[in-house]
Amino acid sequence: MRKAIKAAFFGLISMAFVGSAIADITFVSWGGAYTASQQKAYIDTYDKGSSITVENYNGGLGEIKAQVEAGNVTWDVVDVLPDQAITGCDEGLFAKVDQSEFLNDLVVPPVSECVVPQIFWAYTAFYDKAAFPGKKPKNIKDFFDVKKFPGKRGIHTWANALIEMALVADGVKASKVYEVMSTPEGIDRAFAKLDTIKDHVVFWSSGSKPLELVSSGEVVMALAYNGRIGAAILSEGKNFEYIWDATVLEQEYLVAIKGGNEAEALAFMAHASSAASNAEQAKYIPYGPMRKSSIDIIKKGEPWFVKEGGNIDILPHMPTTPKVLKRAVIGDPVWWADNGAEVHERFGAWKGS
Amino acid sequence: MNQTQTSSGPILTTDGIPLKVSLKKAERINKIRAFLLVLPLLAFILITFLVPIGDMLARSIDDRQINTVFPKTFEVYKKWDRQGLPSEEVYKTMFFELKNSEGYSVGKASTRMNYSKSGWKSLLKKSKRKFKKIEEGPYKEKMIAIDKKWGDPEYWLAIGQMVDPTTMGYYLNAVDLKYDSSKNVVQQKENRRIYNKTWIKTFKVSLLVTLFCLLLGYPISYLLATLPMKYSNLLMICVLLPFWTSLLVRTVAWMVMLQQKGVLNNLLVMSNLLEDENRFQLMYNQTAVVIVMTQILLPFMVLPLYSVMKTISPTYMRAALNLGASPMHAFYKIYMPNSVPGVSAGCLLVFIIAIGYYITPELVGGKDGQMVGNWIAYHLKTTLNWGLCASLGAILLAMMTVLYWAYNKIVGIENIKLG
Repeated sequence: MRKAIKAAFFGLISMAFVGSAIADITFVSWGGAYTASQQKAYIDTYDKGSSITVENYNGGLGEIKAQVEAGNVTWDVVDVLPDQAITGCDEGLFAKVDQSEFLNDLVVPPVSECVVPQIFWAYTAFYDKAAFPGKKPKNIKDFFDVKKFPGKRGIHTWANALIEMALVADGVKASKVYEVMSTPEGIDRAFAKLDTIKDHVVFWSSGSKPLELVSSGEVVMALAYNGRIGAAILSEGKNFEYIWDATVLEQEYLVAIKGGNEAEALAFMAHASSAASNAEQAKYIPYGPMRKSSIDIIKKGEPWFVKEGGNIDILPHMPTTPKVLKRAVIGDPVWWADNGAEVHERFGAWKGS
Repeated sequence: MNQTQTSSGPILTTDGIPLKVSLKKAERINKIRAFLLVLPLLAFILITFLVPIGDMLARSIDDRQINTVFPKTFEVYKKWDRQGLPSEEVYKTMFFELKNSEGYSVGKASTRMNYSKSGWKSLLKKSKRKFKKIEEGPYKEKMIAIDKKWGDPEYWLAIGQMVDPTTMGYYLNAVDLKYDSSKNVVQQKENRRIYNKTWIKTFKVSLLVTLFCLLLGYPISYLLATLPMKYSNLLMICVLLPFWTSLLVRTVAWMVMLQQKGVLNNLLVMSNLLEDENRFQLMYNQTAVVIVMTQILLPFMVLPLYSVMKTISPTYMRAALNLGASPMHAFYKIYMPNSVPGVSAGCLLVFIIAIGYYITPELVGGKDGQMVGNWIAYHLKTTLNWGLCASLGAILLAMMTVLYWAYNKIVGIENIKLG
């Protein structure tokens, strides 16, 4: 009897070792339709995909820093925003990766040595067509013009993208936004512009909220993540319209956490950042790939977006088409890494006053 | 004579050891046993409670990240008179310490330096990359040529705040103060003064929530304690059912109820009690935070109140009425004083939970409902300014301790009862 128990015990231990030899990594992302698209595009298609555990988080480096400092790393691959990609890489929370495979294929250069490309997502203004039977808002100036288009606006509770949009609405060229923002007067100017809509705003903090706000008529226009708007139009048949002006493009990357299962993590990241995987993801969510060759794959493959009863063209919903890019602001994570805390505190004071 | 000698000498046990020693030994063993018995609990409290709090307090004043990266620069920096720009020597030392730094120390230091002056982060990163190509001086000119921030005295003056290994800077920051370049305490820039307002708001919201919970909870608890069993059980379920429901579900339900195109406003408009354009703004502001938190925290008031009221014998009130007191007077003189331990327990509990609340203000707070907890979360996750988080947390802890002390002085801590 005792022997049998012993045998079973060692059997279990050896199984645990065999288990860790497969892939056994934890992939952490934002949840919802976004994680679902990642699952379909490159976890299900990965040969060791079944041994990948998927978890959700709410962004930020807090948990990662705590894991690394405590020497107890349970996350291996994490989907991060660019300013966190910079800070985390600088502080040694992320492993460095070999970027030679994709370096010349990216729309913008990578923000740090620790990242592989994921997607572009965007803060975009949108409205319900039913809310404006007559004249429709066309640009970001209209979003900030409550006389021409009366009604409430839905905006998020943090300052990113709002400063940029306010400046473009105030007449700054999209390409000059960060130049203006680097002067104290520039920030004053942005807040002065925000003042003009202050009494007409409803704040949201979770990504699905602006869609509800616009659907229910609580607000007439709102800013939202373009993928959420696209999903509402494509999958739920909502009657929404984008305002592709001063769209603020944000980058999204994958990183491997230092001290986790680095070798397996990097192998998985190589698969996840391939041109095919990047393009594949757009079948399920309208975020723009970061690799130029992925956009070509989509262009050739249209209608690309997978839907029951016939696929749909995805490019009109993408924030990275030339038409949109011409009027877009490409978010500068370095500027935000430098000035984020200060501007956010000022934004908090502005909100509360 | 013989007898007195034996009685004054030490009493011995059968094996010849003095009884006192033997007793002490037995007692010691018992003491060790007792100690071993509580050891797991003690260790648990130490590891999960005291160590993290100690760590937090240490973090709130720790300022060594940069000292370890730029020690020599600080030495020469101290000689600078803080007029104009520092000398070539300071530039040169900074140049070599940055150029020769290894690993991730610069990244961490730059995060810290960025708290003192926005812009340090990218400046150090960019400079470290470009310094590789520079072999000889003059370093001052070459550094300014790389980035004109090196020629901005503001950046150099900001270093002055970081020279010491410990700092009160995080605490100052948490109450809208800061060090100026010569380490005098001055007010934060006007448009960044956010924390004092947040403290006042946090207190205000917590007090209001406690007050409303008491006003709503007292009659409910009274009913619960005095009604016959079959009704009070039903009522108890009504109190507990929301208590068992997820916090998020309840918060979102309130959003549906209170928003401008929500159930309440729609009903009022439909019944012509309210004009369509005058709909109440009950969501995404401070009012919403108070309403929702009151509902969520109500059970924490009702349960201690109920368990105390249950022990107040109904004969007291009957006796008072019998002796000629009016119902109001009897309630005021007899019932209320007897229920004070429950009131104190409930109020303290609700207030303590409310003051650190985070998720509800985040969801329904909108423009002016953010509390201290929300700022802690922001700095914890986004700016990684854990020093500021720690000082905000330490101030919260200190306030609770003061409150507890004041409560003990005024009401007496033995006067608190959970049942």
